[in-house]
Amino acid sequence: MSNTPHDASRLQSDLAQLRTALRALEPPEVDEAALRARFREMQQQRAQNAVAERSSRFRLAAAAAVVLALGGILAAVVLRGEHPASVLVPVAAETPVAIPVPVSAFQPLPNSTSLSPSSSYNVVRVRIPLSAFAVVPGTQQGGSIEADLLVGEDGLARAIRFNEAEALLVSVADQ
Amino acid sequence: MDQADPGSNDRADVRLLAEIVAGVEQSFVELYRRRHNDVYRFVFAMAKSRSFAQDVTQEVFLNVLENAARFDSAKGTVRAWLFGCARHVTLDRLRLERRWTDDMPADVGTLDSDERLLADQRVERLHAAIARLPVEYREALVLFELQELTYAETATVLDCPIGTVRSRLHRGRVLLATMLDENAQPLSEVKSSVGAPLQAREVCS
Repeated sequence: MSNTPHDASRLQSDLAQLRTALRALEPPEVDEAALRARFREMQQQRAQNAVAERSSRFRLAAAAAVVLALGGILAAVVLRGEHPASVLVPVAAETPVAIPVPVSAFQPLPNSTSLSPSSSYNVVRVRIPLSAFAVVPGTQQGGSIEADLLVGEDGLARAIRFNEAEALLVSVADQ
Repeated sequence: MDQADPGSNDRADVRLLAEIVAGVEQSFVELYRRRHNDVYRFVFAMAKSRSFAQDVTQEVFLNVLENAARFDSAKGTVRAWLFGCARHVTLDRLRLERRWTDDMPADVGTLDSDERLLADQRVERLHAAIARLPVEYREALVLFELQELTYAETATVLDCPIGTVRSRLHRGRVLLATMLDENAQPLSEVKSSVGAPLQAREVCS
């Protein structure tokens, strides 16, 4: 490629001529009236946009306020509805637990004081080996049975109830 | 446009832009009168089409109406900022019209008094060659050589480092000299001798 100093200087000379020619180039006449009209149109459009923007901001703020207010009202209603329910509904009903349903009432244990409705008792679930009972023909000697003990505040057992025998008899293999 | 005191000219431009932002109609007209020649000539040098230059100039000043508040005097002069706007509009239009380099139509028709200076054969050939340059070399050459911006101003307008401007100018001059040679090869063959030009997306990003 020929890029001799002569080429470079000639190119600079040509560029200078083109620069001069471009300086002398006059653009078309300006339609000042159209220019001013366009300016006013743009200003008007800008003003309208500003108004629209303010309006949309106001609408957005109003919508946000309405949403917050509705949320507050809804929360108040829900909380008010939950509070009495928690008072009225027994705890046992809210938290159902798969507890085997006892099939018999508590039977007072021999040699214990009688049960009193005014006293408080604890229910303790125990597993009693069948060997603790009198031998029943046909039962497995290694088995056990679940029972609930009613224990008084003094720690002494006052009553007992046995759960369903067929379900609660535990085989020796499970032990 | 009086170029004797660029500093005072630029201060006046900055004041006019501020007044345009404030909504002063007369300032817009005044800025247009002062600077539309620069924009028009830059676009004409880039595209070698009077109608194209006229359309782009109008669009650039409409952009000025919308974006005057974005001008930052710390980044350069109003003139350079206008060239930057003109460059973006020009590149967008060239891209839309798929006229990056080749098939750049020259205006035909009768020559008016202003165009007689361009009728010189060598100048005409040079302008035609510039209009066929890859756009990244073309815009650097037009801004630096024809609009007489400094390296720093050109770099600001092109949004690239000064070293890149120097590199593009060098490559552009080599390409031009080759194209203007009497035994010039077709442009497609010349391009390969100076390395691959940038892709359009790099220039327009």
